[in-house]
Amino acid sequence: MQFDFSALIGGLLDWVIGALFWIWGFLTWPFLWEGPFDIFAWFGGLLDWILGALLWIWWIIKWWIIWILDILNGTWALVMIPENFMFLFRAIVFPGLIFVLLALIFTVWYTRKIWARLQDRRGPMHMGKYGGLQLFADAIKLMSKEIIIPDKAKRWMYRILPSLLLVIVMLPFAFIPWDPYWNILGSPTSPFPDLSVSLVLVFAILTAVPVLSLLIGWVSGSKYSLIGGFRAANNQFAAEIPMVISSVGPAMLAGSLSLYSIVLAQTNIWYIVLLPINFITFFVAAIASVGTFPFDAPVADSEIIFGWRTELSGIYFTVVYFAEFAEQMLYSALMVTLFLGGFNGLPFLAGIANFVIKWLVVFFLFIVVTSSFYRLRQDQVVNLCWKYLLPLSILNVVLVMFALVYIPGLVPLVIGG
Amino acid sequence: MSPDILDESSVIWFGPQHVSAHGWAAKLTIVGDYIVECDPNAGYFHRSAEKCLEFRNFRQGSMILERICMMEAFLAEYPYIAAVEKIVDLEIPERAKIMRTIMMEFNRIHSLQFWWGQFAGELGLFVMLLWPWVDREYSLDAFEELTGSRHTVSYATPGGVKYDFTPKFLAKMEKALTRVKDRMPVFEDMLSGSPTFRLRTEGVAHYTAKQALKWGLSGPNIKACGIPMDLRKDDPDPNLAYDMIDWEVPVINNEEHPGESDAFDRLLQRFKEIETSLDIIDKLLPLLPEGPIIDPKARSKANRLPEGEGYGRVEGTRGITTVWLKTMEKAQTPWRAKIRGPCFASYYALKHIVPGARFADFPAIFGSLDPYPGWWDR
Amino acid sequence: MSNTSGSAATLVRTIINKYPDIESKPLDGNKVELVVPPAKIRDIVTMIDEEVSDALPESMFGVDLTEDKYELIYIFWSHQDKMLIQLRVSLEGETPEIETVSDIFPGLDWHERETHELYGINFKNHPDLRLLLLPDELEGKFPMRKSFVTDRSRMDETGLARPKPRPKPGGESS
Repeated sequence: MQFDFSALIGGLLDWVIGALFWIWGFLTWPFLWEGPFDIFAWFGGLLDWILGALLWIWWIIKWWIIWILDILNGTWALVMIPENFMFLFRAIVFPGLIFVLLALIFTVWYTRKIWARLQDRRGPMHMGKYGGLQLFADAIKLMSKEIIIPDKAKRWMYRILPSLLLVIVMLPFAFIPWDPYWNILGSPTSPFPDLSVSLVLVFAILTAVPVLSLLIGWVSGSKYSLIGGFRAANNQFAAEIPMVISSVGPAMLAGSLSLYSIVLAQTNIWYIVLLPINFITFFVAAIASVGTFPFDAPVADSEIIFGWRTELSGIYFTVVYFAEFAEQMLYSALMVTLFLGGFNGLPFLAGIANFVIKWLVVFFLFIVVTSSFYRLRQDQVVNLCWKYLLPLSILNVVLVMFALVYIPGLVPLVIGG
Repeated sequence: MSPDILDESSVIWFGPQHVSAHGWAAKLTIVGDYIVECDPNAGYFHRSAEKCLEFRNFRQGSMILERICMMEAFLAEYPYIAAVEKIVDLEIPERAKIMRTIMMEFNRIHSLQFWWGQFAGELGLFVMLLWPWVDREYSLDAFEELTGSRHTVSYATPGGVKYDFTPKFLAKMEKALTRVKDRMPVFEDMLSGSPTFRLRTEGVAHYTAKQALKWGLSGPNIKACGIPMDLRKDDPDPNLAYDMIDWEVPVINNEEHPGESDAFDRLLQRFKEIETSLDIIDKLLPLLPEGPIIDPKARSKANRLPEGEGYGRVEGTRGITTVWLKTMEKAQTPWRAKIRGPCFASYYALKHIVPGARFADFPAIFGSLDPYPGWWDR
Repeated sequence: MSNTSGSAATLVRTIINKYPDIESKPLDGNKVELVVPPAKIRDIVTMIDEEVSDALPESMFGVDLTEDKYELIYIFWSHQDKMLIQLRVSLEGETPEIETVSDIFPGLDWHERETHELYGINFKNHPDLRLLLLPDELEGKFPMRKSFVTDRSRMDETGLARPKPRPKPGGESS
């Protein structure tokens, strides 16, 4: 049913004119009417008017319901087109949102377990087998906690920013090539081909993270948070430059900025064999960018309590906590994609199984490194990133450039078959 | 410090609810990343222990003292007993003297293990926070076996000790000490061998021996400056067994800056302290004679003390720990008991050490001084 | 004159040569006690600072002897000479006064602050006599004095709620 604009206006006009007549009659009765004022006659006019208004409102509601049903119908028709359905299924279920969330929950458990073993503890043991359900218990506990917003906090920003951070950290997962077929963007049969600049897009989206850390620190209205926010922004600005430059090496070898093409180019040889130093610079810069243990000056608990997260409570804290792990996962996945051959690997395993195995190995490395060093001071972090990682990664780019030109057998080897 | 710098300063309270300030608060004035002024505040743990002691008799008093510093409970309670033994004439059996000394060194090792973990945790390595604390459990098990209490041992009493060593305790102590010995190389590797640890501690919290003496610092904090000031050697308590054996005062003298110390030197110093304690226990255990463990008349003699003043001193883990006791004629309780905690001075010294440091170095500074709030609040 | 041996005796002789009105009393070992009149405290502490190169200000505290009599004990320790010097100062009055020595030995700064708040002894020229350990409501109450009673009769001063009377044993159930 189309929306009938003239009918709407007609109903409105009827109502307005009726009301005007009625008011006119009320105003002029002492001059026109014979006899005393008849309250019942007067109320009769009022009832007419209410009935007219109700009819008109009902007409609007009816039209609105029909409109929504129309939209649902149209959407459903779009969804049921097979390519669209597959895309949505990938984006939402596998390997999209739900897969990533489950992986996130597993990752938190995995991290805590490895940390505990490294620290001579047992880690979560009671909820579920080997504490597998611990994170669900923690999440329920954190969500049911009272939310305390400091008086000086900017309330709306305080409420919005943590979720925004999680959304921004989750977005780049759409570009990760998990599998030759099962990935969100860039599978051969999908109507959404891989973007030719997905590597750049991942880093472009991630540039919002330091801004959000700084903003969360600022809107919390606490000095500890503010110091932590500045440190977090400083940390990530320092670390992301060497990280981005480190990612140029694989892109140059593969001759593409698309993550999917970079993985495809690694069928002959994984780039970690050719670029070990590049892998290490990327790895260290990734840890620094996440801001976890050796580089956790932004959330240093012995100095500034919990840095920019100090004043977050309840669900907001949970969300930010998840965002940190999601960021670690994302960097591990990027390392697998850029250096470890992505879904290439054992031929008898599915691509995604290969990917996940390598991903867990990189994540394990991540955790071992994070629990072997003392916290660096902020100036030492920047010193490390800009005096050591940045020159190394730039040198690496130059070397790759010359190697591609002057080493004869290299190009066929690195562009895959 | 010109006034216009202070215009851009901001004040940060480091405590008392701060996760890293265990019951104390320092008011820090910060310009940029640098601390220009530090005003340590005391009193958050004040439980008027000195006044309480005036209402406890001479056998109960030591139990208040050990609650001041749980980590070195025996070392904390001993000065009181030493002071009582200065006033009243008690015959301490040889066996009790050696048992006290062994227990004292054992407790010192436990306290230093705790400090390792705490310091590493403050510098942000949680693996090193937990590893020494796991080893510490063995020491605590041994304490529990001997006295029934894991921290507040209340082992000594005027005239001797309360419980005799059992074979089970000796086995547990052996286990704990072997573990400490075995893990020393690992910890040396994880602390002094770690490049990031050196980055965080070298050149931090620098002071000279003369400054430290003026502030009243003692114990490892001053031994790290190259001064072998150790009451165990200088003024050994007659009722302890330190003069029975031959041992060296642990002292670090850094050749790069002789007569001065930074946080890294103080770590090395505390490693040496543990080695010395292990050495003393090893040398004392074979000397342990058979015999009584307490003066048979201790109970009646310590009931009422004659008039007098006694000054009990002992080298605690954190420095010189003393109790000055004054009694009136036929006293059941002390007239005045003054507790001198070693950390009273080291906490005060923050006021002088901290200005000029980076904010991020503050945990390294107070961690390296090993302050324990009970000692200044009492 | 003193019969202490070693370095303590030498120090005591040096001090008494300069200030003859100081009495000395030997303690056991290389330890000595000097009874110092309040007016002389700065002179003596300065002398200790000059004569003993590694003097450690170990402790300083007050003792309440009742009837408005107080004693201050200063304890210095020298590692080099293995020597302990104990200064005893007798004070009298409602609010006794003495010169501060916290500029000579900064380590005694907080000891003086503590003695001030616990005993009400005023240290003249002390830079910072704020409360150290006590909460604000105990300012000027001097809790370590013997006249400070600590039983329930002072409950109102604390500002705490009075403890509720206990229900009678076996009382009526509501």
